[in-house]
Amino acid sequence: MADAIRTEALTKYFGQVVALETLNLSVGPGEVYGFLGPNGSGKTTTIRILLDLVRATSGRALVDGLDCRTASVEIRRRIGYLPAEMPLYREMTGAGYLDFLAALESRPVDFSYRRKLLSRFDVSDVDLRRRLDRLSHGMKRKFGIIQALMGRPSLLILDEPTSGLDPLMIEAFAETVHELKTEGRTTIFLSSHVLSEVERLCDRVGIIRRGQLVRETSIADLRRDTPRRLRVFFDGPAPRPPASLAGAVRRSDARHWDLEWSGPLGTALDAMRGLPVSDIEIEPFKLEDYVLKIYSGTEGARD
Amino acid sequence: MILPALLGRSLARHSALVIAVAALLSAFQILDIVVAYNLQAKGVYGQFASLVPAFIQEAMGGVLVGSFSGAIALGFAHPLVMLSLSSVAIYLASEPAGEVEDGLVDLVVARPVPRSLIVTRSALVFIVGSAAIVAAMFVTSRVTVRWLSPATASALPALRLAWVAANLLAIVWCLGAAALALASHVRERTRAAGTVAIVAVFLYLLQFGAAAWTPLRPFARVSPFHYYEPMRTLLGSMSPVKDIAGLLGATAVLLGVSAVLYSKRDL
Repeated sequence: MADAIRTEALTKYFGQVVALETLNLSVGPGEVYGFLGPNGSGKTTTIRILLDLVRATSGRALVDGLDCRTASVEIRRRIGYLPAEMPLYREMTGAGYLDFLAALESRPVDFSYRRKLLSRFDVSDVDLRRRLDRLSHGMKRKFGIIQALMGRPSLLILDEPTSGLDPLMIEAFAETVHELKTEGRTTIFLSSHVLSEVERLCDRVGIIRRGQLVRETSIADLRRDTPRRLRVFFDGPAPRPPASLAGAVRRSDARHWDLEWSGPLGTALDAMRGLPVSDIEIEPFKLEDYVLKIYSGTEGARD
Repeated sequence: MILPALLGRSLARHSALVIAVAALLSAFQILDIVVAYNLQAKGVYGQFASLVPAFIQEAMGGVLVGSFSGAIALGFAHPLVMLSLSSVAIYLASEPAGEVEDGLVDLVVARPVPRSLIVTRSALVFIVGSAAIVAAMFVTSRVTVRWLSPATASALPALRLAWVAANLLAIVWCLGAAALALASHVRERTRAAGTVAIVAVFLYLLQFGAAAWTPLRPFARVSPFHYYEPMRTLLGSMSPVKDIAGLLGATAVLLGVSAVLYSKRDL
């Protein structure tokens, strides 16, 4: 089965500015893929090439095995898209906006599903009748999410989906993603700066910096491979670390050690057996720490 | 379903502008004909005509200011009428650049909407919008003339005034198509509409200047306003078919250019 998304040496220049440089990435069908990167790293350009809004300088992008350039209309039949900056026809009502965008779909929109989404995102009939320019930023965002989802696309491209949403609506969004993930019919390509959200929702992440993919990995692998920080407290003076832990101890104090441990935690705990340990603090895995290192360039680029 | 939806949205966005300009230019027809009727009733046309230099009359498409028929033609040849109508068509046609500027194109073209439909939509909007305004001007002019001077209305068949209106529309469409071509390439609406509007004023002045200064005449052929002689058309002394065909041909070429440019651009 063809990848839901595949880019091959995708390159885009805007004049002298390099937006993408030989970007190769692949997203499997049904996968939830987090596309991360600092501002200006090329995320939105990649998305816009997938939608054939901009044209690649070289290389190619494929959706379901179809070329985004030559089969763009067919590809866009399959895509639901939420842009980061929500463009609105200011004078339209919310209902008019959704109806207009539904009329541009190639297949009829399932209105019962649309009603379900409206209810889930707490959009009332009054909100539907109000002009879009009189709605709050969060409410506009809800309309954006609903318009992307309402056509039940097989590929969802979401650029900063939860920006401006309140915690309840972020939860409603997460619930929707989980539902789609369970159904397994929808691939989700999600670009976000909210790393806790990416960590929670995504199966895999790709990190792009200066137009190049610097890391592509699964969240499970990251959890396994990323060094964990532990603080071990002792009853009485801290003993000398055993040989198996010595390399991991970053700091040793009178009553505790600070460890940075890679690999299964059980091995570290086994090594502490017999020591007068009174407590252990384990810092939870945070995608943020890892990603920030890559953004700042302190983590080496790997494939 | 897609084209009607795009068309409906764009017409809804611009309907207030089209209605306002249609009302304004229709009111101008009434005012023009009422003034002409009063001048005729007082018998002062002769004096009035002698005050207007011949080159100005020629520059305004051979409009004979000193006659009631001339006044009717003036309603379709006055610089204010021609330039406001052209401005509306230019503005309507520049919508694709505005959609890129506002990001609205991201929502529309991210759906299965062929790019050619965006150009088709904008072409139809400026064609229908300007035609609606000219139709309102035509109806108002005919009704006012019939009301004030039934004899003049009988002497000037509606078909001749329709040819004048069609010729004016052909000029406006040509300028609209030029605006659409530029809007298919640039990212700002004001840049597309502003540039073509300035060029339109220049082309109008070129035609106007050529009437007064012979060396300019060969250059005036590039101006669409050169292909418009409302008074001679109204009096039945010439057929504007060739001029209209030429202007429509130029419009078709510019629409083709628009489609090609839009299909190749980054949005």
